[in-house]
Amino acid sequence: MKHTTIALLLLALAQDVQSQVSDRDTYLKGFDQRVAYVTSFYDTMQTAGYYQAAVRYAHNRDIARADRMFAEMLREPRGDMFWMIPSIGAYLHGKDKMSAETRALVRNAWKTYAPYRGDTENHWCMYYAALYLAAEQWPNLPGSEWYNGKSSEENLREAKEYLIHWMKITTTIGQGEFDSPDYFPEYAMPMILLSHFAIDPEMKTRGTMMTDYIFADFAAEHLDGQYIGGFSRIYQPAVYKPLLSPASAFAYLYFGTGEPTNSGWIVIPALCNYRLPEIIYSIALDRSAPVIEKERKRVRNVIRFGAEKNPPVYKYTYITKDYGIGSLQGGILQPIQQHTWSVRYTYGWPYTTIFGLHPYWSGYEVGMFFPEEVKTLIADVVASKGTYNNPDKWTGGSPFERTFQHKNTLLVLYDIEPGTTTEHIDGFFPRNLEERVIDPSGWIICKAGDTYVGWYPLQEYEWKEELDSPANKLNDIGRPQLERVKETGNWRLRSHKLQNGYVIEVRSKAEIGSFEQFKSGLQKHIPNATLVPGKVSLRYKTLGGDAMEFAFPEKRVLNGKAVDLTKTRLFDGPFLSADVGSEKLTMTYKGKKRILDFKAVTITELK
Amino acid sequence: MKSLQILLAGLMLVTCSATLFGQQSTVYLSVLSTKLFVVGAANPQTGLFYRKGSDTVWQHTGAPNIRAFGLAVHTPSKGSLLCIASGNGVHKSTDGGATWKITTGWDITEVQSVVIDQSNPQLMYCTTPYGVYRTLDGGTTWKECNNGIAMKFTSSLIIDQKNSNVLYCATDAGVYRSDDRGDTWKRTGLAVSRVRVVVQHPANPDVLVAGTDNDGIYISRNAGKYWDKTEAGLDHSTFYAIVFDPTNPQVLYAGGYVTGVYKSTDGGTSWTRKNDGLTTLNIHSLAVDPANGSRLYAGTHGGGIFQSDDAGNTWRNVGLSGSQVWTLSVQSF
Repeated sequence: MKHTTIALLLLALAQDVQSQVSDRDTYLKGFDQRVAYVTSFYDTMQTAGYYQAAVRYAHNRDIARADRMFAEMLREPRGDMFWMIPSIGAYLHGKDKMSAETRALVRNAWKTYAPYRGDTENHWCMYYAALYLAAEQWPNLPGSEWYNGKSSEENLREAKEYLIHWMKITTTIGQGEFDSPDYFPEYAMPMILLSHFAIDPEMKTRGTMMTDYIFADFAAEHLDGQYIGGFSRIYQPAVYKPLLSPASAFAYLYFGTGEPTNSGWIVIPALCNYRLPEIIYSIALDRSAPVIEKERKRVRNVIRFGAEKNPPVYKYTYITKDYGIGSLQGGILQPIQQHTWSVRYTYGWPYTTIFGLHPYWSGYEVGMFFPEEVKTLIADVVASKGTYNNPDKWTGGSPFERTFQHKNTLLVLYDIEPGTTTEHIDGFFPRNLEERVIDPSGWIICKAGDTYVGWYPLQEYEWKEELDSPANKLNDIGRPQLERVKETGNWRLRSHKLQNGYVIEVRSKAEIGSFEQFKSGLQKHIPNATLVPGKVSLRYKTLGGDAMEFAFPEKRVLNGKAVDLTKTRLFDGPFLSADVGSEKLTMTYKGKKRILDFKAVTITELK
Repeated sequence: MKSLQILLAGLMLVTCSATLFGQQSTVYLSVLSTKLFVVGAANPQTGLFYRKGSDTVWQHTGAPNIRAFGLAVHTPSKGSLLCIASGNGVHKSTDGGATWKITTGWDITEVQSVVIDQSNPQLMYCTTPYGVYRTLDGGTTWKECNNGIAMKFTSSLIIDQKNSNVLYCATDAGVYRSDDRGDTWKRTGLAVSRVRVVVQHPANPDVLVAGTDNDGIYISRNAGKYWDKTEAGLDHSTFYAIVFDPTNPQVLYAGGYVTGVYKSTDGGTSWTRKNDGLTTLNIHSLAVDPANGSRLYAGTHGGGIFQSDDAGNTWRNVGLSGSQVWTLSVQSF
């Protein structure tokens, strides 16, 4: 009942926040209410856990129980960097309140439990942020007092070096695990902890700046609690139920959008003193005019089959108040969980998306990024990412896929080698579309509230009905629970032609008028494609009147002029601006600016 | 005095017998992973395991959840100096595994192998997906040594047995040789992609053997200048492990992706399969007991460790079921 009352109040507040950007006081009041909502689930929870302990310490209640929880959790630490971050977070919130015995237990854990450092950016970011904070807390200890045999000073120095290195490459050539709705917390949590708890003033400022940075990146591609665009990594089922992603929990807490949630990911951030600058949530919430956001990111470290360690990723995202459509340029840009393009919209919770892919897997792909043996890697990957070699999977990139986006029009082409896993392409159409019309013109024309989506398949296809999850159980505010129960009804478009593609057009009622007007508009815009092996190309005149020419893999021409993706800046949009190599991000909103300068380690605000 | 002589003679006999039958040998192995490994989960133990003498139980030392690709044992110190190559870097112990220190920093990661210069243990090398690194001070500082290497993914490295300035390494672009302890490298005559292992004849340093991913086994008899592909009897193309029998260098064993164990008795010219008792054919590591050439070990990908006491004719599983045994070393101190 306590949660329901708070949730209803918050929902009303959230809807208000979405309609207009709040003043600072109103925002902060709403933030505090959301913090209270989130933490209220944990301060009475009896199950032992770091979040439960952290909330008790922060709220100064039932400290003895928090101590017992800590002792229980530390009896057999596990989780590597996923242990390091919550345990150091809980410790830092409670160190002045916990018993001396509990403090000693925590200290001992950092001596006796040896976490694995991991093999990817989010692992390293968490590992070193936690190690940095721990080394600051326990200075002047010899190597014999640490799990890795290094002294406090050595650990502090190594952690600082990595963190600064990560910040530098992120702000010069882009984040590697970029814009991941699922891995957003793995960056936000350690940076928020550094912002709150780092003793060194420079690292504290850096923590604040990087938190600003990743939230600004999210804000520029945010719509109603959802991350918009192509992503480096996303899991099923969040790929077709976007609000399941942990990033949406952060959107709820920091932007006040999406669904009230008690996600554990936001508990420790909720207890920290980092507050989102007004300019960032203003950027996240203001969708009064369409936004075109172009970004440059980087591929995760390529260790085989490529000469370049971190090739560029080019993103293009278009967002209105009703929908967003975003894409990466295609190809293998991240292993396993890449999401190359999608349309997401505000209607139809929880299935708020339409997207397509070539469900590809190979030893070549995973061998590009993982050091184990190429021939056994697929089996190793499937052990933890069970959908990887499933021909029906909904995540992953493909070397045989390329995109070309201009505003709210997207062209996607495939030139798939025979014998490749797999020899089909798929499209996801959610069950809750108001309309899914197979028009005689060839267009599949969908209506999702005030958002209209047109999909023109270039080859013959078939429909399959999909089994998926839930919906009969309601949450505290009367909406279906985000959990995995069975239901049916989503639709899979499948086409078995190897030379293939489609055109996506998205418009809103505000942009084009009625659904009938959208339909009649599409009927006059038929793509002209060439689909033979090695020569896959497409000419198309958009609903907006722009001429797009696209030839697989990399020839993109807009209105007669070649599009050079290599000139893409780190951030290029109405709100965010950054040049490659600059180590600087400028946020702009209605004449106000916030400039993060990572060379000088300064934050400058201009009003 | 006489009884003392008898006692000493008896002790020598016991020692010799034990050595002859491998009882004094210590087997070290690195477990990269298990079938159940997931980063962040409560995983079964990985890392460095060892078994001494006639022990039947494998002991674990060092961090329990590192992904250990490689290991190195300093023989003159009788295993006091040990190193592990892991995802966390190069771990070093100077007390036989009682205590450990990670000697590398954040920038050396996913370490594939570590090699100790047996005559100068301050000098060590490690190989990584990002190339070769060297330390001259026992691991206090490491330096990248990739000058001349085209594709940096380096799986293994060996120090020439007669001249420790000479190194060979197996890379994604062939086998490379350095004559200056890694300062500079030149590609040998083997330029095939994805070389996974290179080994040297125990007595003749001009003889090198390399195993590749997808391209079989190559032999050079002139210190890498020219290489010949050896194919007689080989039905597979991917080899991760090759080992000479140190007691009879005409005998070699090789294993790799679903190969089981191949044996050559003519210096690598021809091969026969020796899989009786091997329930896992995916082989990643091989080692011959230096005190008993009939005893060898095969580390598998997901099937634990197998032992043969009859020169490969029959095998039996001797533990660590489910483990990926990435590297093996048998020492007879």
